[in-house]
Amino acid sequence: MGGYGDVIMIDENGKRMDGRGPADLREISIETGVVPVADGSCRMIWGTNEAIVSVYGPMEAHPRKIQRQDSAVLAVEYNMAPFSTTDRMRPGFNRRSKEISKVTKDALESVVLLELYPRSKIQVNIEIISAEAGTRCVGLTAASVALADAGIPMTDLVVSVASGKINDIVVCDLNKEEDNYGEADLPMGILPNTGELVFLQMDGNLSQEEFKQAWDYNMDAASRVHEIMKKALIGGDGK
Amino acid sequence: MSIPLVPKLLRAHLTELAENDKRIDERGQWDSRNLEIQHSVLPRAEGSAKVRIGDTIVYAGVKFQIMTPYEDRPNQGGLMCSAEVRPLAGRKYEPGPPSAESIELGRVVDRGIRESGCIDVDSLCIIPGEKAWQVILDLFAISDDGNLFDAFAIAGIVALKEAIIPAERFEVGEDSKLEVNGTPLMCSYHKVGGRFVYDASFREELGGDERIHITLGDNGNVHSLQKGLKGIFSADEFEEIMGHALERTKEIREIINSL
Repeated sequence: MGGYGDVIMIDENGKRMDGRGPADLREISIETGVVPVADGSCRMIWGTNEAIVSVYGPMEAHPRKIQRQDSAVLAVEYNMAPFSTTDRMRPGFNRRSKEISKVTKDALESVVLLELYPRSKIQVNIEIISAEAGTRCVGLTAASVALADAGIPMTDLVVSVASGKINDIVVCDLNKEEDNYGEADLPMGILPNTGELVFLQMDGNLSQEEFKQAWDYNMDAASRVHEIMKKALIGGDGK
Repeated sequence: MSIPLVPKLLRAHLTELAENDKRIDERGQWDSRNLEIQHSVLPRAEGSAKVRIGDTIVYAGVKFQIMTPYEDRPNQGGLMCSAEVRPLAGRKYEPGPPSAESIELGRVVDRGIRESGCIDVDSLCIIPGEKAWQVILDLFAISDDGNLFDAFAIAGIVALKEAIIPAERFEVGEDSKLEVNGTPLMCSYHKVGGRFVYDASFREELGGDERIHITLGDNGNVHSLQKGLKGIFSADEFEEIMGHALERTKEIREIINSL
């Protein structure tokens, strides 16, 4: 969090720089089947974020030493394409990407019924094609859609949204400027059917009241995003 | 990957098809799959393109950096071209450092564009000896169903042709269009079932032998050649594919110029 308090990002009427109110989400669209050679895939556009996710498997886990006798292994790769950011993102090892891959995997392992596929592997690849703010949320949400598109059994989809604080006001779904100059960020991974959580991070500075507000914004937003996800999976294209 | 057995059966099948002048997806020997080209598709890139050939999908994005010119060429900027094929694009790709194949891929496309001279590196100089633009062309595969080479080469030149130098963001003058003089294009041929075919699909690559890549400029001049994988070819075979490449690059160039 940058914490530059002098940048005005929300006016006295609660209107944000991009015209949204505090609880509003950026525009979201989802399309499945965008990687024809994959077993499941999806493209999710969220504001000017764009993520493409492909899922391969269940397939033979290779090499053999990674196999688990009682369940499948889930491998998750999160990566930002070199042209996804304003300054070019240099390809190669990146600590941030490693951490996001890990927490995304931890979240997805909580919902995928891995025990149905002993000794096999399910590979989830998240590529951020265009980054604005909140790419980890877009990546996790899109990954759960791609897994569903691949027909892999799960207890629920995962909706990931973040709320934060700008100019001392709690708002939902930070955009790029709000993320750069804001004072806090609370991304959560929510199971929309039960309201349970599989992913939680936070950084910045929130009072107990502000934290509660951010939490509630995320919960409300999750049900709205869930509707879009369901539509992409079952509606529209006749699937 | 768990596919070493399949190619043997596939090879036999492909040979049988070739003997009857057929291909696995019913195309003729020199037919391409459906080609779609889109430009301005990436909001964060200074120039971009998306190319789809059949089920092969790739992106190209152009970014700029400021570099110190090389001492022996104080008036020149630079061009860098890198290709990435990550696990997203197919089950045979593993995470980790780039494989020899994807390095070859990037370098072959790079040579075609660089050697054609379509990017005038002298025009990239900002302050001689101190500052110059480095053009970075990133090629990124979304779905590999064969012939990434041609898809990358088309996406690369289309992205360069619409690139804007972001001088204002770097506070070194006004934004301007990157000068690109020419449209070098690559055509790739794979030996499948004992004969060369154009625009091989993934299955043809898997059960085929050597491949040849030819990059030709606007006037038909040859700018890069590459023979990859194990295999032997004759001068007559080469002459035949060169003839096809001359025609095909003209067709693709017309499509690009009409975008």
